[in-house]
Amino acid sequence: MEVLQKFGRMPAGLTIPAIAILLVVVGIPTIQLFLTSLNAPSFSLVNYQAFFEQRADVVILFRTVTMSVVVTAICVIIGYPTAYLIVAAPQRLRITLVVLVLIPWLTSGLVRTYAWTVILGDHGLINNLLIYLGVISSPLTLVYNRLGVYIGMVHIMLPMMILPLLSAMQGIDKSLMAAARSMGARPFAAFWRVFFPLSLPGVRSGALLVFVGCLGFYITPQALGGLSDAMLSGFIADQFQSTFDLAPIATSAYILLAIAMVVLSVFGFNLSDVQGRPAQISHRARLSQFSSLGQGSRYINEIVTHYRAKRWASHLYQVAHGGTWSKLVGVVFMLSVLVYLLCPGLIVIIMSFSGAAFLEFPPSSLSLRWYQSFLGDPSWTGALWTSVQLGIATTIASTIVGTLAAYGLSRTSSRLRSFLIMVILTPITIPVIVVGVAAYLGLVNLGLLGSKTGIVLAHSIGAIASVVVIVSATLANFDRTLEQAAQSMRAGPLRTFTRVTLPLIRPGIIGGAVFAFMHSFDEVVVTSLVSAFAVTTLPLKLLENIKQQIDPTIAAVGSLLTLMPLLWLVALYFVWRRSRLNASHMLTEPAT
Amino acid sequence: MSFVISRRRLVQVTSSAIAAGALSNVTGLASAQPAGELRVATSGGNWGDAIVNAFVKPFEAETGIKVTPIFQDVGAAQIGMMVKTNTVSIDVSTVGAVLGETLATGDFLEKIDYSYYDKNDLDAVPDYCRKSFGFASYIYSTNMFVNTGKLPTAKQRPTTWAEFWDVQKFPGVRSLMSGAGIPGPFEEALLADGVPMNTLYPMDIDRVFASLDRIKPHIRKWWASGAEILQIMRDGVADLGQSYDGRINSLIDAGVPIDIGRNQVKLTWDYWIIPKGSPNAQNAQKFIASTARADRQATFAKLFAQSPSNRNAYKSIPDNIGRKLATNPDYAAGSYPANAKWYTEIGSDGLSNLDQLKQRWKKWIVL
Repeated sequence: MEVLQKFGRMPAGLTIPAIAILLVVVGIPTIQLFLTSLNAPSFSLVNYQAFFEQRADVVILFRTVTMSVVVTAICVIIGYPTAYLIVAAPQRLRITLVVLVLIPWLTSGLVRTYAWTVILGDHGLINNLLIYLGVISSPLTLVYNRLGVYIGMVHIMLPMMILPLLSAMQGIDKSLMAAARSMGARPFAAFWRVFFPLSLPGVRSGALLVFVGCLGFYITPQALGGLSDAMLSGFIADQFQSTFDLAPIATSAYILLAIAMVVLSVFGFNLSDVQGRPAQISHRARLSQFSSLGQGSRYINEIVTHYRAKRWASHLYQVAHGGTWSKLVGVVFMLSVLVYLLCPGLIVIIMSFSGAAFLEFPPSSLSLRWYQSFLGDPSWTGALWTSVQLGIATTIASTIVGTLAAYGLSRTSSRLRSFLIMVILTPITIPVIVVGVAAYLGLVNLGLLGSKTGIVLAHSIGAIASVVVIVSATLANFDRTLEQAAQSMRAGPLRTFTRVTLPLIRPGIIGGAVFAFMHSFDEVVVTSLVSAFAVTTLPLKLLENIKQQIDPTIAAVGSLLTLMPLLWLVALYFVWRRSRLNASHMLTEPAT
Repeated sequence: MSFVISRRRLVQVTSSAIAAGALSNVTGLASAQPAGELRVATSGGNWGDAIVNAFVKPFEAETGIKVTPIFQDVGAAQIGMMVKTNTVSIDVSTVGAVLGETLATGDFLEKIDYSYYDKNDLDAVPDYCRKSFGFASYIYSTNMFVNTGKLPTAKQRPTTWAEFWDVQKFPGVRSLMSGAGIPGPFEEALLADGVPMNTLYPMDIDRVFASLDRIKPHIRKWWASGAEILQIMRDGVADLGQSYDGRINSLIDAGVPIDIGRNQVKLTWDYWIIPKGSPNAQNAQKFIASTARADRQATFAKLFAQSPSNRNAYKSIPDNIGRKLATNPDYAAGSYPANAKWYTEIGSDGLSNLDQLKQRWKKWIVL
């Protein structure tokens, strides 16, 4: 108990497990790599000089950052309304929508990228359709250029934007909006003045995850882009394949890390700035009070309020009627987003039933041979099982450690917090290949190379970072007076946490857990190094199969993984219906 | 002078903090394997299956050594790390020709013990396939391909790289290999500029990029992986381009309207190598020696149409397969071996030709 109380006084202590894992697995090797980039022990900046002397390197670095910013912006613009509509949907529909948004993650990125060439190609679905309809006479250039890269990257990153937004929005007390409306705020004003500011931590977390994620992209820009769309990580990966000299690799990685940190601090990604916001609002209020314009508008407001309040009652009964148009727009928008998110997956599913030895769309013949080749081969099913095990272990470890860290960070002084967040986020900011090198060296020191424990640790460092980001978004809106209230009622810190805090931040924790699982389930670059050829995961197995050709087995795996959550949804629906039937049965029983 | 600089770079690498910190820690991995075992990285897919069936299984049956095939690719830095941290977990791997030379300059590879080899086999293998650090048992090539559906008459199809560069006379959507990895479209650029096949090396890098300048606006897609160009050819994204012979042949076999060019063909190959500190180096030597045998190489060519390095293998390769192979004597006049050694030679500025090409490539694509 005393220890816990001590922890309560020293919130930064809650980040100890996260920092410890980080330090042990990648921290020390990361510092060693940094020293390598500085040519230790003689210490010189030649590698950095060499980088900046090459104008091409600087251009590529600048382009990498620009492209990441553009993708992040697109994700915010599409992701925000999507998340809003999902949260506004009824419970059952909401779960369905969340699953549909997350499903694209289950298809290997490589196959999805190929599906995009099928859709966007010169003889692809869109061009063929437009030519058939007579809209265009010669094909549009939709792929092998920047546009294609953006389409592919946004497709991969959008769920990463939506998930933290959902966590943040779920945590917003809906009665606040109703209260604003009851005070005469128009729907948009209520949204803009109440809901939007409360959802900002979600925007920040999502944008952060998307931005740092984009910095590490290399397969999509290469596959869907033109010559001048290559990103820095692609060159780092090429270097890793063709040279044994780690110094230039480490140099590029640290420059990317530095740029990321600069961009993040400029955009103020301080995650949970609960203390900052009220001050800002009161500042703004004071400003408007002193300006004559503000006074004027206040005066007008006062006059109008009476009128608005009158109208409000009638509005209440008109909601259904007046909302028809906005509802229609919402449905159309949501459907477009879903089509965009699910279309490549659908094409993958169709291709998986092909009888040919190559991926082709539309398939010239139909067969189940690729499903047989997956299910009938123990090396495939074994790899799937391994991936599931690793995913679950990583999820448990990183959700607990990450939530503790986020909780601790939310009540740490802002300077220390910025530093700790920077440290925790390093593994998802550095190009993943360098994380792989660092994790390899770290696990060598621990003697865990090529073991499942080692892989879980290596996966966890990235997963913890994501959990911290997502849980922080929820904690930012968390009303700390509730905890104080509980404590004033003589609840201990542990009891307060489990009975008050935990239930309130649950959406964030679930979001973080989903993210952690996906992170582990999809990870291939770090795994390919730290598995030391002793453990085969599903993504590794997928990767090894593309050496010569994109074997349609990959499409079969993708569609099986896509169909499984859909089946789970159907099952959930029936369980829900049964339980509702039971409930209504029970309700009606006393009456009879 | 250049040698001194390169030596210093090597010393820096090997004495870096990582190496110093990690060398003292030997994990159980290295010593866990009992004698009579061998771990071979074969790369994946139907390629890996062919390697296993042609080389691994007969070797196991003959020697009783238990071979664990590892269906993964191994990068240069990965081999470097394994060797430096004393955690070598594969005994044998194939690496591209230039990569093999690069690793050898860094002293990451065991010497091949040629006392295990039959003299008849060795005599039938070209010099570039039997180096002190590695042995190549198959040869492949990068060829020009044309889509015979899009370009139905012979007059529409270029046969030399100079003709390929002539977009007026030979219109069509083009695709070339990206120069970010190795091999790149560099030799082809020189051939297009009129350099004869036998005087390509040492390559004039300025001339390479001047020639690439001319074709740059006409390339629809610069591809980076074999899987990618396979789909580009199959889906008719490009009407003509450059591809690996194995990919072209597999599409021809599948009935796709693609034709393979046999003129100005670049031959390249993979070396079997043994990372320094391999726990089963002795077995690794025996295994690699077995891949030199004509019968094993013939089996491999039958499973996956790649040329044997041992020309005696042709005796037992049926003609319909022999016609697909890049080193078929009938095609000899139209091909040249890539000079892997040239890529690792250090220039006056202390950079290897490979590094030079990569820097120029980066500059060329963005500036």
